[in-house]
Amino acid sequence: MMIASMLLLMPTALPVAQEPTRDPVGRATVYRFDTVETLDGEALRNVTMLVRDGIIERMGQAVVVPENAEVYDYRGTGKVVMPPITLTHADFLHSDRRGGGRNARFLAADSLWLAEDWASDLLEEGILMVGIDPPGSGMPGRTSVLLADDQVGVPEPLVADLHLKVDVKGSSSSKRLVRDGLKAADKAIKSEEKAKADWEKARADWEAAQKKKAEEAEAAKKKGEGGKPSAAQNGDGKGKDDKEPPKEFAPPKMDPNIEPLVDWVRKERVAQIWLGSAADWLHWQDLVGDRDLPHQIILRHGTSQNFHEVVDQIAATGLCVDVVTSISYLPYTRTRVNLPAELIAAGVEKLVLSPRSSNLSGVQGFRLSVAQVVAAGLDRATALRAMTLEPAASMGQEELIAPLAVGAPATFVIWSGDPLDPMTEAMQVLSEGEVLYDRVKAEKEEQR
Amino acid sequence: MKNRTRFFLMAAVVWTLQISLAAASFAPQDPPPAPDPVPEVEDEPPVQEEEVVEEVEQVEQAEDAEDAEEAEEAEEAEEEDPNAVDPNSPYLAIYGADIHTVTDGLIRRGIVLCKNDRILKVGKKIRIPDGARRIDATGMQVYPGLMGVDTSGIVRGRGSSMRDDFDPFALNLDLGLAGGLTLVQSGNAMAKLARGTLDGVMVGETGWVNLGYSSTSPGGRRQLRESMRKVRDYLREVRNWNIDKSMGEEVGEEPSSKGLNSGHLALLEGKAMARFNANSLKDLLSICDFLEEYPMQAVIFGGQEAWACAGRLGRVGAHLVITPRAKAWADQTLNAPSGWTIENAKILWEHGVPFSILPQQRWISTGGLAGRDMLTLPMEAAFAIRGGLPQDAALRALTLDAAEILGIEDRVGSIEPGKDADLIICDGDLFHYRTFVQWSVVNGKMVYDKEVAPYFAHIRPRQVASFEEVMEEIERALDETEEAVELEDVPEAPAIDAPEQAAVEVSDRE
Repeated sequence: MMIASMLLLMPTALPVAQEPTRDPVGRATVYRFDTVETLDGEALRNVTMLVRDGIIERMGQAVVVPENAEVYDYRGTGKVVMPPITLTHADFLHSDRRGGGRNARFLAADSLWLAEDWASDLLEEGILMVGIDPPGSGMPGRTSVLLADDQVGVPEPLVADLHLKVDVKGSSSSKRLVRDGLKAADKAIKSEEKAKADWEKARADWEAAQKKKAEEAEAAKKKGEGGKPSAAQNGDGKGKDDKEPPKEFAPPKMDPNIEPLVDWVRKERVAQIWLGSAADWLHWQDLVGDRDLPHQIILRHGTSQNFHEVVDQIAATGLCVDVVTSISYLPYTRTRVNLPAELIAAGVEKLVLSPRSSNLSGVQGFRLSVAQVVAAGLDRATALRAMTLEPAASMGQEELIAPLAVGAPATFVIWSGDPLDPMTEAMQVLSEGEVLYDRVKAEKEEQR
Repeated sequence: MKNRTRFFLMAAVVWTLQISLAAASFAPQDPPPAPDPVPEVEDEPPVQEEEVVEEVEQVEQAEDAEDAEEAEEAEEAEEEDPNAVDPNSPYLAIYGADIHTVTDGLIRRGIVLCKNDRILKVGKKIRIPDGARRIDATGMQVYPGLMGVDTSGIVRGRGSSMRDDFDPFALNLDLGLAGGLTLVQSGNAMAKLARGTLDGVMVGETGWVNLGYSSTSPGGRRQLRESMRKVRDYLREVRNWNIDKSMGEEVGEEPSSKGLNSGHLALLEGKAMARFNANSLKDLLSICDFLEEYPMQAVIFGGQEAWACAGRLGRVGAHLVITPRAKAWADQTLNAPSGWTIENAKILWEHGVPFSILPQQRWISTGGLAGRDMLTLPMEAAFAIRGGLPQDAALRALTLDAAEILGIEDRVGSIEPGKDADLIICDGDLFHYRTFVQWSVVNGKMVYDKEVAPYFAHIRPRQVASFEEVMEEIERALDETEEAVELEDVPEAPAIDAPEQAAVEVSDRE
């Protein structure tokens, strides 16, 4: 489905950047970099990268440069190349605050409220893909995914309907809401099953009746004169037997707020579980009981910064964990807790880092806070993956934002230096070989 | 001189050895010292140890054959490595501490053995099951967990929705445990401070019926008495009807309780407890009048002048919740003793009035005013002790009497087999300002450890020296002395732990 949506997007996006004189098919671009953070093992030094048709065709120290290739040599400039930063929760992209409650029918993409230059705001920070959530607690809707490519007007979301947002932060009312929602989903499933069983029975009965009728008709035909009375008999039961049940089962209409939950209970949909404290984790466990519901964990601590109490339990589930990038102090103490590092130490494998606050200034300070968490003990490679590949994977887009390797899409950011240095800027953002953002060009335009 | 010093020091070492080993055989049910991070058994020269043990055993055999038998048993147990601890064991043993049972006096150097969430055994001679979780509380004091009557803000949520609202990692819950609390009443709900779990939190609901009976509202009093009279009449009718029915007499329909206040009905039926707020003598006396007219279980909050009518309060069977440091000045217009006194608690106790104690702030205050909030509940009781209340009674007020007021005295409030395993282990007397709670146990689980929780770990850190550490210290001291003594002409300095000697020398110089 992802590929299909990409194909849909490509024709609209490509002609804009396309140079009229050159045929894009078979066009080769060669980049030369000092450092490439492939995010798959060690960083590569002194790399030549050959990009053709949006794919990295060759990468390494000894790459033959084709004759007609366009060559960009960034060696000796200290520039670093890395897959683009991905945000899972860019809340500043909508302002339609419906609040919470049981409103699972809403899609985040339907409540977009974008500033004119929202895309360049993101690209300037080296961000290509963002997830957006419906605002509010309880079950306020479903999340969507946007690409910050140069779309004019209301953008077409990459994925409109992704995860179900379930927010059980800190109040018994949201817990009750989810509990009731699950009950309603169970009820809906049961009634659908019953409807299906009824239909199957009706269909089977009808088919049997038809068969019998056909047999009788056959027999009547053979007998010749006996055909008439049997036809009369059939005529008596006409009202009951002859009304054909629909060939395909039509499930009963469901409450649109319950439907996503039903998908969730049937394991056809992943939910994001938003938690605000260690207690919420226990309450969530209490709520879900023995059910096996596919979900990811979103940790957003409020005043009680105590997720470290349950990191082992969370890690034991093997789930994807999305956490705010910050060092927290235990309340009333000087005890510091590096929650991302603790999660990794406890064995969390899929870690997603999110900015401290999901507004634009929070996004602009994201790399700095990641640098702080890395300085306080989080493994650097893990941190880089947790701000690029892992969030993309958590949104099912691991093929779009992938480690830089031969055969992978040429989707990366050229940073002016170490991406974890707060003074570093994103110089260019490329998506499948196409330059979406060029800082030098953008600044020139601004001056004009 | 060198030899003499060495001899004395060696004697001291042997003496220490004997003392520690003798202690082990005097209380052979005691397990060996707390498990150390360092494997101790392998490091020790086993031959020497055996020799010494034999020596001590001989002495013990002479004195007490039974003890020696048990020492053997202990030895046998030792062979099976009793230090192995299974963290999932249902058993929790707290050993080596003085146990304040509340109902059965003080047990010195005893053992409390808990199984799951209950106390299994309390006493001096208890075998600790293999693999049991242990707390080495040598030299510490074990009390039942303290109870906070009518607190606020320590647990979140109230009533039946307690579970959905409970925050088992809340800061205030931690601090409550640090203050010695294991159970609090909040609103109408009673909750255990069960850290880290949602299970076993809710204990029940108080079902108290609030009654306003203040001298400032004569109308309200009249209405209350009116309602009570109706309820009493109804209960009499029901009783007569039942008697008539049982005698086989012709009876009409059963009397209806329609129109009666259900709370008041529960009170007179003995199913609920009435709650009053009263401080002044006037109000307290009129509550006594009321309770004499309508006998019921009652708890009175406040009671600043209760000492002046303690006898009457005792006779009507009222419970009180007092704040020994709350002040009220005497009423000069009254021809009776009134006002505040630090002896309030003592006088109530003398008259047999059960009471609990509440600090001036019913919550946990981290903003200063140390000693006036639930963080230091025993401090408030200490002021009652200062006013003459016996210490046992003060402990009872914070535990069993509080449980009685809450109606859960069969579950909590003392250290007895069968009761909930809610205990606190303090490093000194509960009512001393220096004392800290070192460990708290709720529902048989250790939920607070001062060394681990980030709040007080830095104040007088707990240090439990192992046998090896003591020996190393002695050996080090020996070596150092040897070196020092070799300097021959160093004058003999008075030992630090012999102040008398030092004093003598000073006076000699004078």
